[in-house]
Amino acid sequence: MSTEPRIPSAVPGQAEDFATVTAHTPETITRFFDLYAEFWQRGVVPPELKELTRLRNARITDCGY
Amino acid sequence: MQKLIAALPAESELEGMLAHRPELQVRYRAFMQSVRGDGNLPPRLLELCRVRVAQIHDCAAELALSDAAAPLTAAEIDQLAAGRLGDFSDAEQAALAIAELLPYAHHQLDDAAVKRADELLGHAGCVALLTALAFFDVNCRLKLTLGVEATAQSLSTDHLV
Repeated sequence: MSTEPRIPSAVPGQAEDFATVTAHTPETITRFFDLYAEFWQRGVVPPELKELTRLRNARITDCGY
Repeated sequence: MQKLIAALPAESELEGMLAHRPELQVRYRAFMQSVRGDGNLPPRLLELCRVRVAQIHDCAAELALSDAAAPLTAAEIDQLAAGRLGDFSDAEQAALAIAELLPYAHHQLDDAAVKRADELLGHAGCVALLTALAFFDVNCRLKLTLGVEATAQSLSTDHLV
């Protein structure tokens, strides 16, 4: 696993993070955040259950981020 | 596994299943349209990666699809399965090296592999590649989990997953 950002920020003056690196593809990431907001903020699955499965998935995939 | 029955007629069986949550389906389609058509990567490179990820997952439903804009030959598909990548371009080989690891061995992906793709594809191309690979992986996992059947279809601007 990398300990350094592998791709520089696309936003001048801002450090690398998920949003600033994926900003290299602005149209795609805008649609991703739209999809993600729909998934997390609405729907029929209780937020607590979504959070539980998110944490479990992060642990299984060993994703510290 | 008993599959989830589609909620609505749709371009593909997976979209029909996602239509149980229409707001989610609409946004998923819009996102995948951008992944496949934002112009940051050649359609052929994307198709090679989509097929390789499907091979790794042994996902018959995904393997039954083909991109009409960048069709692969049977020989090329066999080459992918066998790991014989010598006939593919440098950029395609760099992308396929990442595709090989992303589904089940993402922690083995080293800085050099991403740097190589970044050099050949540019920052936007590399981000587009990593995003596409992640969601090719998602599509296979969704199809295998939902029990989507293998149906030969062409991918197009209207039918993306």
